[in-house]
Amino acid sequence: MRRLALAALAVVALLAVAGGLLAPHDPLAQDPDLALHAPTWAHPFGTDYLGRDVFSRLLAGTGTTVAAAVESVGVGLLLGVVPGLASLWLGRGVEWVLLRAVDALMTLPFIVFAVAVTGILGNGLTQAMIAIGMLFAPLFFRVTRAAGLALTRAQYVEAAELFGASRSRILRTHVWGKVLPTVAVTAAQATGGALLAVSSLSFLGIGVQPPAPTWGGVLASDLGFLAQQPWAPVIPAALIALTVAALNTLADDRGTLRVAR
Amino acid sequence: MTTLLDRPQAPARAPAPAPARPRRRRGRIGALATPVVVFLFSSLLTFGLGALSPSNPAAAVLGETATPADIARMNHEFGLDRPFLVQYLDWLGSALTGDLGRSYFTTIPVADSIFAALPVDLALAVLAVLLAVLLGGSAGIGAALRRGGRLDRAVTVVASALGTLPPFVVGIGLVVIFSVLLKVLPAGGYVGLEHGLLPWLRFAILPALALSLDIAASIARQLRTSLVAQLGENYVTGAVVRGLGARRVLFRHALRNAIGPAVTVLGIGVPIVLGGAVVTEKIFNLPGVAQLTLQAAAQHDVPLIQGTLLVTVTVVLLCNTLVNMALLRLTPQGRRS
Amino acid sequence: MLRVEDLHLTVGGDLEAVRQVSLTVGRGESLGLVGESGSGKTLTCRAVLGVLPPGVAVSRGRIALGDTDLTALDRRGWDRVRGNRIAAVFQDPASYLNPSLTVGRQLAEQLRLKRGLPRGETRAAAVALLEAMGIRRAPAVFDQYPHELSGGMLQRTLIAIAVAGRPDLLVADEATTALDPAVQAEVLDLLRQLREERGLALLLVSHDLAVVAEVCDRVAVFYAGEIVEHGPTDEVIANPRHPYTEALLRVASLGDWRRRDLEVIPGRPPELGAFSTGCRFAERCAHFTERCGTPVPLSTVDGRTVRCHRAAELALVGA
Repeated sequence: MRRLALAALAVVALLAVAGGLLAPHDPLAQDPDLALHAPTWAHPFGTDYLGRDVFSRLLAGTGTTVAAAVESVGVGLLLGVVPGLASLWLGRGVEWVLLRAVDALMTLPFIVFAVAVTGILGNGLTQAMIAIGMLFAPLFFRVTRAAGLALTRAQYVEAAELFGASRSRILRTHVWGKVLPTVAVTAAQATGGALLAVSSLSFLGIGVQPPAPTWGGVLASDLGFLAQQPWAPVIPAALIALTVAALNTLADDRGTLRVAR
Repeated sequence: MTTLLDRPQAPARAPAPAPARPRRRRGRIGALATPVVVFLFSSLLTFGLGALSPSNPAAAVLGETATPADIARMNHEFGLDRPFLVQYLDWLGSALTGDLGRSYFTTIPVADSIFAALPVDLALAVLAVLLAVLLGGSAGIGAALRRGGRLDRAVTVVASALGTLPPFVVGIGLVVIFSVLLKVLPAGGYVGLEHGLLPWLRFAILPALALSLDIAASIARQLRTSLVAQLGENYVTGAVVRGLGARRVLFRHALRNAIGPAVTVLGIGVPIVLGGAVVTEKIFNLPGVAQLTLQAAAQHDVPLIQGTLLVTVTVVLLCNTLVNMALLRLTPQGRRS
Repeated sequence: MLRVEDLHLTVGGDLEAVRQVSLTVGRGESLGLVGESGSGKTLTCRAVLGVLPPGVAVSRGRIALGDTDLTALDRRGWDRVRGNRIAAVFQDPASYLNPSLTVGRQLAEQLRLKRGLPRGETRAAAVALLEAMGIRRAPAVFDQYPHELSGGMLQRTLIAIAVAGRPDLLVADEATTALDPAVQAEVLDLLRQLREERGLALLLVSHDLAVVAEVCDRVAVFYAGEIVEHGPTDEVIANPRHPYTEALLRVASLGDWRRRDLEVIPGRPPELGAFSTGCRFAERCAHFTERCGTPVPLSTVDGRTVRCHRAAELALVGA
């Protein structure tokens, strides 16, 4: 299962980098005569309501979609891991404030918050993904803290402190090695969540601006023409579902944790 | 977002164990004090977000012909020239008395717009939670009782599949099945509860179902796992040997101990229901708070955005507090970890 | 009253874990089952209670309580028998109580469902019953959770719950094993007292012959899924007829039965599925002969049942 998941993700990663180059057609080229056409050799996944090649749009959209997901997870990592470690070593006051802040972030619903942030800061993918990333922060914060908390009482860290190792050195050598694997697993899981969030936002018309293609955008536009092409949403939906499933498999697999260590 | 909701047992969700740093003020007082502090943090975040707005409301309202003097006068009128903290406290104070300011565009009081839309969401959320508990509960219990059987496998497959699909796909799938193919339910629109329970239910059932499936899946998974563990415990054998009926053993004994993780999921699930509501309200064209947020976001209507966010956060916090108190009641003192 | 006839239990459909077990317990009588762990004594009493572990099934034989055939009961039928006519207590009493309900609520539930007491009367009746079990401060104990009580208190509570429905037979599976010696003696006293005052029949399972000797009229010795010796307790102890019984007597804490540093019987019982067709104790037996490789029938010697070719000829040492 893990190999299958890794293979699927490798393909997605390849498409993210080179999808635009592999696309047989211009993902933005419209052809009104070919609108909502069934699959042919030239258009293996058919065409959308503007006659654009769905296959090319999905290939070209992989980059934006994956980049958006990775971006938000990156923000979450930054805002979660660093304060997570800080909460352990910078004293009670900092810890208290950070814990409340995390609790506060956890009360915010992802999509509502992303909509609000784009409403105030401007409707762009970066704004939306920063919002989603902020809400991932509690997840990483907790994982980091849990892994680090066990370490603050571990004897070898104490021993290192006795030998006069500096705090930053302890953090680097001992803590990092223990915290990183769980953080990696959480990141895989969060990336799946981010993909779903990105597609939901595309559906709402938030983040990516048309006509730029994304998986969620293709899916959302297909759903508007169910009467003509009831099969069309299956392709982008399957693409999203399989990627998320691969990430979940990776996060659930015990072997992943071992390899990461 | 099921992927994040689902696995308290995975390392990701492992709650930070803190035996050496026991949290003070546990129990009833703690259960009430923490939400208040968290509310202050959330509201500060909400207000701070508005202050980050690059667009000057005065300039936006007055249009391009406004002179700097006009804008300054308008800023003063809105109170935007005062220090940040003063503005926040002022805003929070008014919010607590029910005054969330006025929309920059329509000048309708924000509170009025929200409280016109809120009943839609509340009624829908209650129905969604009810459905989630009913569907997830029965699926989880059924799967645990027939462990390894067909039902068990079906529940596992459906629950994990639901977690990999964007929520709007599920919603639209329901529309296609029940409105387009079967033609038994309307595809969208809304009728308030004041027009009667059945007319309301006709419009509410599909959106509520769409909202509930995510959480139902998580509840089913959590309940199955913990119930399987509990059914293997000696006290269940003990209750059977005492001659208690199968139903009593399950509902009064095993379930009482198995229900904790599922209740927690329900608590975590409230923000997800409300988050999902944005998508659901758009699909089913419902006049709820989420639609209001979307509309406010499109117009960069800062007071309206702040208001909807604050109300959403408050609802989430209220629900979380209720869930925490329920969990406290379920677990006897001294066994709480 | 309880009749077990030719009981066979299988694990996973084909491995025979218990073979040819027959025993009876009359009204007010007490029978002890002794043997090492894995000897089949616990499985036998689980079969009597209708709570065999998953994968274990009755493959032959009959268990009857009065004129009820227990092996033919469905779940509803069992619910009328258990708690009303048969009850049980186990080792590790804490785990057999619901951890999130007070012990009082669990006792009250039993009184209400099995004795039909109205809600308003259960508390008083429960407190009275707890007091009858020798629990001081019974009203306070009523409102406590299992984790707040000591092992001895819990076992008394569990016994109270067991006898709440006024059963005829109490199955006690290693009920005193985990308790410390002084408490163990008190609980055994309580069981004896219940037997005398209420005419409660006892099926007492223990790995320690000394515990059985304290309470039981008759004893059945289990080895590797079979009964190897079965007869009146004092006679079996004074004059064992099976070499395994003799070995058990040596390691039992008889006389000074609070002694904890027991000897062990050399060797180990055969694994499940690796039973020989002859005597299953042969490998560890000091009196082994050629004949022991052939199947051993049950014989009656001195008014007791023994499964040994040499039962009549060996002179074994009792206690």
